[in-house]
Amino acid sequence: MLDIAGLRYCYPGATHAALGPVSFSVQRGQILGLLGPNGAGKSTLVAHLAGLLPIQQGDIRIEGQPLSAYRRLDPTRIAVAPQDYAFYPMLSVRENLECFAAVSRLKASAARAATTRALGIAQLESHADVRGERLSGGLKRRLNLAIALLARPELIVLDEPTVGVDAQSRSFLLETIKRLATEGAAVIYTTHYLEEIEAIAGQVAILHRGKLLRLGPLSSLLAEGASHLTVGFAQTPAPDLLDHIQSFGTARLTDKTLRLQLSTGVSPVAALTAIEACGTPVLEIHAGRYTLEQLFMQLTGDPAETAP
Amino acid sequence: MMLALLRKEMLALIRDPHALAALFVMPAVFIVIMSLALKNMYAPPVNHLDYSFDVREHTPLAQRFVQNWVATHGTARPLDADWQAALSQGKLAYVLVLESGLSEAFVTPQPPSHAVVRLLTEPGLSQSAVRTLQAETAGVVGELRAVALTASLGLMAGDDLSISPFMASEVAGKVAIQPNAVQQNVPAWLAFGMFFVVTAISSLFIQEQRDGTLARLVSMGVPARQLILAKALPYLAINGIQAILMLAVGVMLMPLLGSDALSLAGIHWPALIGMLASLSIAAIGFALLIACLARTHAQANTLGPMLNILMAALGGIMVPTFVMPAAMQQLAVWSPMNWGLEGLLTVLVRHGDMADIVPWATRLVLFGCVTLLLASILFMRRIKP
Repeated sequence: MLDIAGLRYCYPGATHAALGPVSFSVQRGQILGLLGPNGAGKSTLVAHLAGLLPIQQGDIRIEGQPLSAYRRLDPTRIAVAPQDYAFYPMLSVRENLECFAAVSRLKASAARAATTRALGIAQLESHADVRGERLSGGLKRRLNLAIALLARPELIVLDEPTVGVDAQSRSFLLETIKRLATEGAAVIYTTHYLEEIEAIAGQVAILHRGKLLRLGPLSSLLAEGASHLTVGFAQTPAPDLLDHIQSFGTARLTDKTLRLQLSTGVSPVAALTAIEACGTPVLEIHAGRYTLEQLFMQLTGDPAETAP
Repeated sequence: MMLALLRKEMLALIRDPHALAALFVMPAVFIVIMSLALKNMYAPPVNHLDYSFDVREHTPLAQRFVQNWVATHGTARPLDADWQAALSQGKLAYVLVLESGLSEAFVTPQPPSHAVVRLLTEPGLSQSAVRTLQAETAGVVGELRAVALTASLGLMAGDDLSISPFMASEVAGKVAIQPNAVQQNVPAWLAFGMFFVVTAISSLFIQEQRDGTLARLVSMGVPARQLILAKALPYLAINGIQAILMLAVGVMLMPLLGSDALSLAGIHWPALIGMLASLSIAAIGFALLIACLARTHAQANTLGPMLNILMAALGGIMVPTFVMPAAMQQLAVWSPMNWGLEGLLTVLVRHGDMADIVPWATRLVLFGCVTLLLASILFMRRIKP
């Protein structure tokens, strides 16, 4: 569906590229979770797909066609739900949907049907006549998403669609997005919330300072932690602990926590036995699988960001 | 698509009470206030002022002076003992002092050594009223001196030596009405109000940029020309409604408030519509340019009204150009609001036709086209991928 090859973008006057070069693909029915701290290049990538930035270097193709040609044919086949509440606050929910449906080049009857459908998907029927400015944060997010779905797009780009919403609305939005993918749309989902990526994304791309650090199925990225062992002690262990376990891999001791990257072929059980033999009581052990947050920290060296 | 964009603009405007107040209430209020406030500037009420005579010579000539004056200015108030205090406190508008020796001075061919008729005015009396009283006093003095001189020379000149049959005052051109404060203020504040579309246009435009709505519309493939047109077209209608409302205020409301009415009798309607359309094009072009220049609501809300007020002050909206010194009058012709005002005055006061408004309408349309072009360039730059 979407193929990005060697995409690179440098803002005028900037010394470093904000993005790239990056390459990846997204297929129909797939949700790609795009993860990265502020300044990682997520918004630059989204702006390219929205047709708001020119392609300086590289290529974006959809269904084999260059992005510009695809957008010329029908720009509404790609829908972008921006991070901001990109609708008219002084118009009601229905008026907003009718306006954007007409802008999507839908005929009057199709626009009415699309409005009704979008109201249903976002469960906004009972708020149809409420002005946008009077909606709660969660309902505003739903309206923002509903507008993106009016023209039944084939590629949906969602830029942090759950910022500032309560747990109930977040759960509803995530379920809705999963359903869109099930119905055949390709979805790119950017967020700061790692647990959302874990909840809905089959594929994960981690961007950092414009570079794509990891791309792949979520399960295989998390499995990178299989050779990783973290041990929590009841008290700070003796410094000679590191000498005793250096043959098992690369170790780092921080206060009462030992992080050990096991060498190829080394059994974590053997390493644990050696650690216990040193005599310091062990409180907890993590082995065999990263959390997405651990992977993120491992790759970027930054603590995973959370939305305000 | 275009209809949806137009509907959106209209709904946004209708639901913005501040913009509605700026567009409709503010100019109407200005018309009412300024027309009432400046009513006397166009017709000084010298015939209705409180005044007294201090007659120090009781001769037939002095009595005749008093009779002539009373005939046109109403009965004088009795002269109080402390009339000078009353005058300085503004309780009396003026006092005419007829000095002793008046009759002798009138029949003497040589000028008198001191004034025999003195006009004393209260400090707050307007200069235009003072000058009118001075002219009228000089007129009566001239008439009575002619009467006295012809009598002393034994000429049979009759009793009426009024100078008024010798002169006439007429207004040139096609006009059938006398300009008044309403006739000046309706076109002035209408032009001002029409330029105030800048607040409404820039307010929604900046909100669209800030919220990402504009980016969303661009992303959905809405052409830039449609976005610009959708912003401009509704305000042609808004300017039209403003014009109808302001003219109605002048024609119907002002007489109810005791002011003169705006007269539309005999005006050239196509010329009026042409002027209003030209003014609207200029106002919308200017508003779009400000909207494209400003990045924040604060900038738009400062820049637009500030430039409007400057154009109004310079262009004769707040103070009519004819009371400005020559240098300021030369500056005034650089204000687009002045072009609008002069064009409207040409139609409403001078009863001009299409040919008469061409100089003003052309400038306004050119100004509108240039500002619209600049706004389009800035807009394209802003949304250009």
